[in-house]
Parts: sequence; structure tokens; C-alpha cells
Amino acid sequence: MSAQAEPTSWTGRVRRAVWAAYPPERLLPERQPAYVSSWVYVFGVLTLASLIAVVSSGIVLVIFGPAWWHVSSVGHFVNSLHLWSAEMLFFFMAVHLWGKFFMAAWRGRRALTWMTGAICFLASIATAFTGYLSQQNFDSQWISTQAKDGLNASGIGAFFNVLNFGQMLVWHVILLPLVLIFLVIAHILLVRRRGVCPPLPAKEPSSPAPEDPDYPRSPDPAAEWSGAKRRYDLIKELVSALGVVVLATVVLSALFSSPDEKAVTAARWANANPTDFLTTAVTELDKTSGVATYGPPYTHTPGTGQTIVGSISLARLAGVRIPINTARDFVLAPLSIGSKSDPPLAAALASYLSASPAQRRTWTSTYTKALNSVSFRGGAPVVAPGDYGPVALMMRDLLAQAQSGGLDGALIATNHFYQTDYTKPLLFFSDGTYLENLATQQNLLGSQWGMMNETGNYPGQAWLWLYTFWYQIPPFKTSENADAQIWAIMALLSLGLVLVPFLPGIRSLPRHFRVYRLIWRDYYRRAEAPRE
Amino acid sequence: MMTLLAAACSQLVGAFVSLEGKPRYIHHGWFLISVANLVVIVLMIVVFVLALFLRFPGEREKR
Repeated sequence: MSAQAEPTSWTGRVRRAVWAAYPPERLLPERQPAYVSSWVYVFGVLTLASLIAVVSSGIVLVIFGPAWWHVSSVGHFVNSLHLWSAEMLFFFMAVHLWGKFFMAAWRGRRALTWMTGAICFLASIATAFTGYLSQQNFDSQWISTQAKDGLNASGIGAFFNVLNFGQMLVWHVILLPLVLIFLVIAHILLVRRRGVCPPLPAKEPSSPAPEDPDYPRSPDPAAEWSGAKRRYDLIKELVSALGVVVLATVVLSALFSSPDEKAVTAARWANANPTDFLTTAVTELDKTSGVATYGPPYTHTPGTGQTIVGSISLARLAGVRIPINTARDFVLAPLSIGSKSDPPLAAALASYLSASPAQRRTWTSTYTKALNSVSFRGGAPVVAPGDYGPVALMMRDLLAQAQSGGLDGALIATNHFYQTDYTKPLLFFSDGTYLENLATQQNLLGSQWGMMNETGNYPGQAWLWLYTFWYQIPPFKTSENADAQIWAIMALLSLGLVLVPFLPGIRSLPRHFRVYRLIWRDYYRRAEAPRE
Repeated sequence: MMTLLAAACSQLVGAFVSLEGKPRYIHHGWFLISVANLVVIVLMIVVFVLALFLRFPGEREKR
């Protein structure tokens, strides 16, 4: 380009830089270095094909709305496509990552390629996580009530509220896919820019011998490959991979469908286990429940907020951002709705609110003890005579409200018309044993490696094995600060995965494992062949 | 058309091989894993090993 043709505008400079970095033959090549001859190379394009399948099925689910797949057989089938393509995405991505690790594929100025790939993996985990939270079923409820502890312990929960369905849905269908797609594009462009990493050096012959120029023994990973090439059809490879993934997804969806355990409601809980409901409700009223004494981001409770080491508490640093008053939010406010047309209830509420804290505690304490021998007549609780003040009537009416379904609406009611935040009902449910018992039956507890399990016999989030592993071993198994400590460990390990190209020792492991000798065995056979 | 599709899907959604029901797990000491997750992990390893050993088709060209 002549000096006169030098672009002076920003647009011209960008065009020239893009053209120089990505000439068409590099962007869409028809030749690859001859060493790219292993099935290990196909997992990258299979991952990309799976991502296309995930996004396509996700778009259909978004078009029809989040509740569609619960009420439509077509919707359920599309959800199955979404689930199985996501399973395949992680399947191929993990195998792709193994392959690239054993090739030490970050050599020759390709560290950024590895790093964007590793961040894609982490972003995929976050996207899948918000997807599980957006299912609107029992799985979502349980995952959100469990995941909140880890996120709250790290301080993130104050801003990223997993109990807020609306927030999680937006993250899942807009923000995280945008980030992921951007990262994937950057990753692919880096692969095209730098080319496929050449093999690690071949063995030098025992006596000096000429080198085959088609198969140089020590190819410079930073230089353009000058040896033998092979034919390559990038578009055909992508279309073939997409065909394989779509076929496999349809077959898996048709064979196995996808899980959809019905969500727990206050009505279901109160009808199935009224004693547990009442016991929990009283602890919410007298503020002795788990949520009432949780600490940040829900309550100002002295001495709460998990610490990582010493007294460092990110939860306390983030503060109380989602204030919850269990007595008001879970009991008194819902009851006040019915009290407008129920004078005895209105009087009971007035009596409770005007009593001293000590008097209230006496009533709730006595009533809690009485619940040990509670019986039910026509659905209403019957307890032995005692000094319960207005509490017995309040609890009876709250149970009736819950059993009729009224409490479900009251717990999410706000001053606004549209409701998408389920923080209050989910926190209330998490204090009882009903939700937990259902989860125990499905092996979903933390002590059951539950983080990687799915309801029924479906494969779950196997990629979370390391995260859930820490909860099974001491000192984390019994630590009060396990969530914060494990979060810190996983954050460090995730950073380590991204920075593998720069970590002495770790980055040399592929040379010791020698798996690369199998991947590039064709190259080594030729490069190390005796030559006259 | 949509009705036909819905009817076909409702059959498919029934799942030919039901994965609902009592979960099947392998439990040994502190280690617990669902059969489904184990199958997926073993399959990943098998696929990777096969990819290492199976011959990749295609011919090479000289420089």
C-alpha cells in the first residue's frame, strides 16, 4: 500500500488492521498443517455445534415464555432438546479442554486462546446454573435455596439473588449468553489468528541426519507452519458436527425426555405436613428461624456472616441488601390481608402487636411445645389447652390461608402488579423440613454430592464434581464457614485454570504425560523416520 | 400441523426409557454418585481414549 493510500480515518485503520490479521484465506482456510490429523481435534467444533443447538432451542423456549414447557408437550420436547444439547455442550467442552491441555496448546503466543477457552468454560457453568434456576420447578427451588449460601458467603448474593426468578431468567437468556457468545467468537478468532498449535519437538536422531522439510523435528510454535499440509473444509466440518449433535439431541430427547418435578407451594406443604408448616411459622413469628438469624444479606444479626480466614467476611462487607423481617413478611403481613374481613383475627393481631416482646416469646414458646402433640380436625390444628394468647388463632388462620393457596400469593405480593421475585416464599420453605425431605429422597443434599445431581435418574451437573467434593471432606465437612472457604478455593482454582499457561510446573505437565505422542503419532512417525 | 406435532411430541415426552422414579446411586463410604453421572463421565473418558487411538481419515499433501 502506498504512502498516499495510508488510511487516516479510524474506520480505515480498523479496516486495515482487521484485513491484516484476518485475510480471507486465514479466516476460512482450505488447508491445515498435516499434523492436524487426530479425532481429538473434532471436539472443538462439536462444542461449537452443541452451543448452536443450545442457543437455538433456547430461543424457541424464550419465544414462548418460561412457563410454556410446563403446559405444552411441544414445549416439553423443546426443553428436552435444550437440556440434552447443554449436556452435550459440557461433554464435548470437557473433552476438548483435556485434548488442548495434553497438547500444551497455549505455546507460541496462544496463551490468550487458552484463557478465553477456559473463561468460556466458566461462563458456561454460570449460564447453565442460571438455567437450572429458571426452570420453575422443584429443582430450581432446591438449587436456589442451597446456592444462596455459597453466594451470600462470598458477598455476591447481596447483588446476584438466586431466589429472584426474574433476575435469574434475564441473566440466563440475555446477559450470560451474550458474554458467552462474545467469548466464543473471540476464542475462534484467536484460533484462526494464531493457527493450530504445532506438535511438541520430536526426538532428535542419535546421529546427525537430515530433516524432512515436510515434517520439521522442532517446529517453532510461534511461526507459521511451513511443512506438509492437508485438505480441510471448515464449513463442511461445522455442518457435519451440527448434524451429529442435532441427531444425538433429538434421539436423546425422544428417548429420555427431561425432568420436571412439580414445584413446592405453601399450599402443598401445609396440606402434606401441617405440623412442619406450623412449627416453621412459629419460628418465623418469634424470629428464631434460620432465616431470621441468618445475617447478611437478609438480617442484621450480630456474629453472623461466614468468614474465609480470620475475620474476613465478604458477606458482612456486602451488608444487608435484601432485608427480611420474617415475622412481618411471612406471618403478620399475610394474616393482615384476611383480618380485614375477619374481626377475631384482627383482634388477635392487635393483641399480639400490642404485647411486650417477653409476652410474645412466652406465647410462641408455649405454642411450640404444644405442637409436639398437635392433632388436626377438619384441617385445623387442635392443641392442648394452654396460655398461647392470640398465637393459636393466628397460626390456625395462617395454616388455613396456606392450605387454601392464599399464602402463596400473599408471600410474593408487593405494591407492584407484576411479580417475579420469589425470595420470601423460598426462604420460608427453606426453614421447614418438607422441602429438604423431598430433596433428601432425590439425593440433592450437599452431603449427598447434591450439587452435581439431578432429580430422578437424569444426568446432572457432573462438571461441578470438584465444587461438591470439598463439602465431603474435613475440615469443610464440619466447618461453619465452609461455603465461604470453598468459594475462595474454587475462585483460586478457576483462576488457576485460566492461568495454566503461566504456571510453572502445571504448564509442563503435558510433556511428562506424553499423551501428545498419541495425538500427533502420525507426525512423530514421519519426523523421526530415518532419512538418508 | 401444530396439532400433529403436539401429538407426536406428547408421545415422545412420555420418554421411551423413563428416567423418572427412584434415583439409582452408587454409594461407597463418603463417595456417592448417580449412575447417570457415572455413565456420562465414563463415556467422556471412553470417547477421549477412542479419539486418541482411532485412525483419523484423510490424505496428506506435500508442501
